Amino acid sequence: MNMSGQTNQPPLLEVRDLSLSFNQQEQLAVDRVSLSITQGSTLGLVGASGAGKSSIARAILQLVKPDSGDILFKGKEIHRMNPQELKMCRQRIQLVFQEPSASLSPRRTVEQTLLEPLQHFAIGDSNFRYEKALHVLDTVGLDQSAMQRYPHQFSSGQQQRIAIARALITDPELLIADEAVASLDVSIQAQILQLIQVLQKDFGFTFLFISHDLAVIRQIADDVAVMYQGQLLEHSSADRFFSGPAHPYSKTLLSFAQGKTPTHRPGDKRYLERSRRKAINSSACLFAGFCPEKMQVCEQVEPAIHAIQNKNQDALEPHCVKCHLYSEVNTYEF
Amino acid sequence: MTTPALNVKNLTVRIDTEGRRLTLVDNISFSINAGSATGLVGESGCGKTMTAMAILGLLPESGVSVRCDGIEVNGKDISRLNTAQRRSVLGRDISMIFQQPATALDPVFTIGQQIAGVVRRHIGGSKQHIRQTMLAALDSVGFSQTEDIAAAYPHQLSGGMRQLAMIAMATVCKPAVIIADEPTTALDSSTRTLILQQLKSLQTLQQTAMLFISHDLNVVRQVCGEVMVMYCGRLVESTDCQNLFSHARHPYSAGLLSCIPQISTTRPAPVTSIPGQVPAATELPPGCHFSPRCNRTEAQCRISVPKPHDEDGRGAACFNPL
Amino acid sequence: MTRDTWQRLRSDRYGMSGLIIVIIFAIIALCVWSGLLGQGWSEVSGERFESISNRHWFGTNLLGQDILQRTLFGTATAFEVGLLVTICSTLLGTVLGGLAGWYSHGWLDEIILWVKGVLDSIPFYLFAAAIAFALRGSPWAMHLAMIITFWTTTARIIRGEVMRIKQREFIEAAQAIGLPGFTVLFRHVLPNTFHILLVQGTIVFVAAINTEVILSFLGLGIQDGVSWGLMLAESSQEVLTGHFGNFLAAGISLFLLLMGFNLLADSLQDALDTRGAFN
Repeated sequence: MNMSGQTNQPPLLEVRDLSLSFNQQEQLAVDRVSLSITQGSTLGLVGASGAGKSSIARAILQLVKPDSGDILFKGKEIHRMNPQELKMCRQRIQLVFQEPSASLSPRRTVEQTLLEPLQHFAIGDSNFRYEKALHVLDTVGLDQSAMQRYPHQFSSGQQQRIAIARALITDPELLIADEAVASLDVSIQAQILQLIQVLQKDFGFTFLFISHDLAVIRQIADDVAVMYQGQLLEHSSADRFFSGPAHPYSKTLLSFAQGKTPTHRPGDKRYLERSRRKAINSSACLFAGFCPEKMQVCEQVEPAIHAIQNKNQDALEPHCVKCHLYSEVNTYEF
Repeated sequence: MTTPALNVKNLTVRIDTEGRRLTLVDNISFSINAGSATGLVGESGCGKTMTAMAILGLLPESGVSVRCDGIEVNGKDISRLNTAQRRSVLGRDISMIFQQPATALDPVFTIGQQIAGVVRRHIGGSKQHIRQTMLAALDSVGFSQTEDIAAAYPHQLSGGMRQLAMIAMATVCKPAVIIADEPTTALDSSTRTLILQQLKSLQTLQQTAMLFISHDLNVVRQVCGEVMVMYCGRLVESTDCQNLFSHARHPYSAGLLSCIPQISTTRPAPVTSIPGQVPAATELPPGCHFSPRCNRTEAQCRISVPKPHDEDGRGAACFNPL
Repeated sequence: MTRDTWQRLRSDRYGMSGLIIVIIFAIIALCVWSGLLGQGWSEVSGERFESISNRHWFGTNLLGQDILQRTLFGTATAFEVGLLVTICSTLLGTVLGGLAGWYSHGWLDEIILWVKGVLDSIPFYLFAAAIAFALRGSPWAMHLAMIITFWTTTARIIRGEVMRIKQREFIEAAQAIGLPGFTVLFRHVLPNTFHILLVQGTIVFVAAINTEVILSFLGLGIQDGVSWGLMLAESSQEVLTGHFGNFLAAGISLFLLLMGFNLLADSLQDALDTRGAFN
């Protein structure tokens, strides 16, 4: 399902019905999630911590094995790839982590850190690699003198740039940023977001940008996907989402982000106490307990994912929501 | 003119490290009245937490020098107290809410035991009375199942609930001043709004003065009436919240505000940022610390230190304000 | 990082005095190994129990051997035992502890922990005696006994550290590009344990020398050569007859070297601690 893209080629990354659990826990970390990212676009994946966003990223990078479902890169299923194709896949998908100081090896110089992926994937000879390292450093705004220094000698903004440089060095096609700006100060966050915008516009990179901060997502995402306790609740274009999301949970997130307290929330004060108990009833909507628009069916039947369209917009902008409110009518006036 | 609940006069904190003496907090003065909440805003390393620790007297003695002309809580100077006297003041007249409730709460005691401990220390009374006070504190922060919460251990509660428990602990003795240091940074946005609401209503009810430290201007806006912006150990602007958001006068404050991403229905303009980086404490530029990054620098900015514009310490400390 | 550490170490007077003591003894050991000093440790060069004189600065022992020569040679023995045992047991402990920590709760971890458990349960001197007896005549029996048992402490510490370090994001980053486990362990994880190993190394050195003293008392010490332990063992009889030469020479040397190492170890620990108040 392409949200805002108009292209006809297969999406760069597609996730189909992915499910993941840790240590055989009852609750799934990722629960039958499907989404896709078109080449050249940025998907913002939002949700509270524990919603499963990072787990999806790790599944895409093959750091964890999913229980079921498929991940397709450029149309090819990852678990059907042979070792050579898998290695190529790893080269083409790179990750930038949240804590820049923690994501760089403390006892390795910047040069060693940057060259390592090139050495591992046997790309080029040593001259080529050195030049390439200088090139990516330049792209992220650092100069040659950084090469011989250690991570702790840089500020957190610079460290994050180095992490981004490392992600860029293998010429990836998909960059996954997992809360990459969450622990940075506002002014440094702005500088990194600027860098990301340059990468988007001038270089045409495809991004999966994971964040809990809707304002940051608004700056750089073309599409938005909302997760809650492992399930995907809504997936639409960013413009659509920020003018008025469909799912009640998305509406709640948006008003919190805008600093407004939503009205008519049942048991407001008890919200925190109730969130202690995890929803293990799988045949109901997970959000039912806190939903201001809850109907009776919500506590009994799990909602299906409905594709809806805004009457005022063209057909090429579908929008999907996992909510009983949209089960009958599939064209809505927003 | 009423005595302010908290009055800090010319506070300076220096540390000795690697043979050098670094100034981390440079001559800060401010006051907060009862019932008001003032935000102290700045980025990492600007000295805001150091300021709070210095006020509470929680900085280590060796290698650190704290100088001031007075730190007054309701008129009483607490800066010259010795350790024992200081300990009787903390929790009773002035208390602190920390950023990480998980580490600030003792994991081997229940919430009830920890709050009761504070009550016993500063208020005393019969076991009954202590328990009642403790439960009332939990109720005042919004818990409905106070008995359950009192019997719970910190690890059994979620992050938001732990923070509420911390707030209960900090307000149980109805202190005159509360210092909250990034109390909601570790929480996600939904929990954050609820916690801030709770904190705000409690503060108004008890007419406590609050110093709210944060790097997040949006959060400060929700809670505080006044705000002070700090950069490299100095206060660069001090004004009321409305004013800062609509007409920030110091170039750094204005820059900081323009960096904050906004949520809008239309696709926002490309991100702007402040050029350059925050200088390290070992390499502070002479004169106004912000001058190398400022696009309104004049000759005198590099030589002398600007003082706040207005007489009572408010306004922007800038030679060329916006 | 090492520059900061060095500066911190330099400013600690106790640590520096410890370092100087150790360096002085190390130089003596080097001189003995290269034949410049202590070569006359076994020759009978005087009368028995001569007191301090110009010819014998520390006097002579029961057999007329020069105590100063023997003390100097003992320095070399101390360092030889210390260095060999420290290097070998630390290497062994690091590799095994690292593997156990990296594959924690797996079969390799279980095996290593089991072996560790067994070794730790055997009373050390009994074990050393058994090995010394089994390898009797070999000059390395004592060293081997120590290496086989000392590695467990290092392994335990390293295992814990590795289990902590592997949670950190830079390890995930290395795995994300597909680096094999071994490479990640030896290239990224273990180098971050060097600061612990350094401190642990000095502690093992001290333990090795101490152990040699006791083994010498039991007659299981070095076979060819002399050590302070051997001298102390000899002195246990001599002291009864009022001759303190051996005792004082060996005892004071031992005390000085061990104290030097202990001061150095404590100070190193502080200097390497990067979690000070204002870091």
